[in-house]
Amino acid sequence: MDRWQYLIVLGACLLITAPLEIFGKGVYRQARRAAFAVLPVAAVFVVWDAVAIAAHIWTYNPKYVTGIELPAAIPLEELLFFIVIPLCGLFTYNAVDTILTYLSKRFRASSEQSS
Amino acid sequence: MTGLGYTLPAVLAVIAVCALEFGLLRTGLFRRPAYWISMVIVFAFMIPVDGWLTKLSAPIVIYDNSHTSGVRFPFDIPVEDFLFGFALVTAVMLLWERQRLRDLKTEDAA
Repeated sequence: MDRWQYLIVLGACLLITAPLEIFGKGVYRQARRAAFAVLPVAAVFVVWDAVAIAAHIWTYNPKYVTGIELPAAIPLEELLFFIVIPLCGLFTYNAVDTILTYLSKRFRASSEQSS
Repeated sequence: MTGLGYTLPAVLAVIAVCALEFGLLRTGLFRRPAYWISMVIVFAFMIPVDGWLTKLSAPIVIYDNSHTSGVRFPFDIPVEDFLFGFALVTAVMLLWERQRLRDLKTEDAA
């Protein structure tokens, strides 16, 4: 069971942020836009990760990962990390932006009424 | 404690992301309150998640201390992780925002 720990942490991140999809135009509903934002950055960070692993700057505890590895000894979980965490960031930003836009519209509408 | 392996690249990553915005993309993301509020929320959630990944009692990610500053806070999170996280999430938001501005331009043109 311990071997699934890293994957479970990532799964929990997706689960917690999923309800934020209801805000605005969503993130999953803009999958293309999300992919064009997430994937180029993930590519750069995966290279950084590969170099750091090769140079033994950081390593992964074999107890807590599935053991499925990509080339350059990158655990599958690491690749998913660079997709899941940015998605969580986009969910947060999309939700906050939607709420702020809504509030500023309401504020403008009410100040126009009073003037 | 040379700090070269993780501390230096982490600082450089933050500088690179800022250079990307100010030198190339110019999305205005850093002037948007939505960005800063989002980053506060992202960091607040990063602490339990990254805290779990880096806890010294049963670490999922193990760092070579000779490559970090050795400062681990809060919990056992290497402070470099916050630079790493800032660079990762901000870079993605910049590209996301750039596409929003592009869409606005094409809507205006239409």
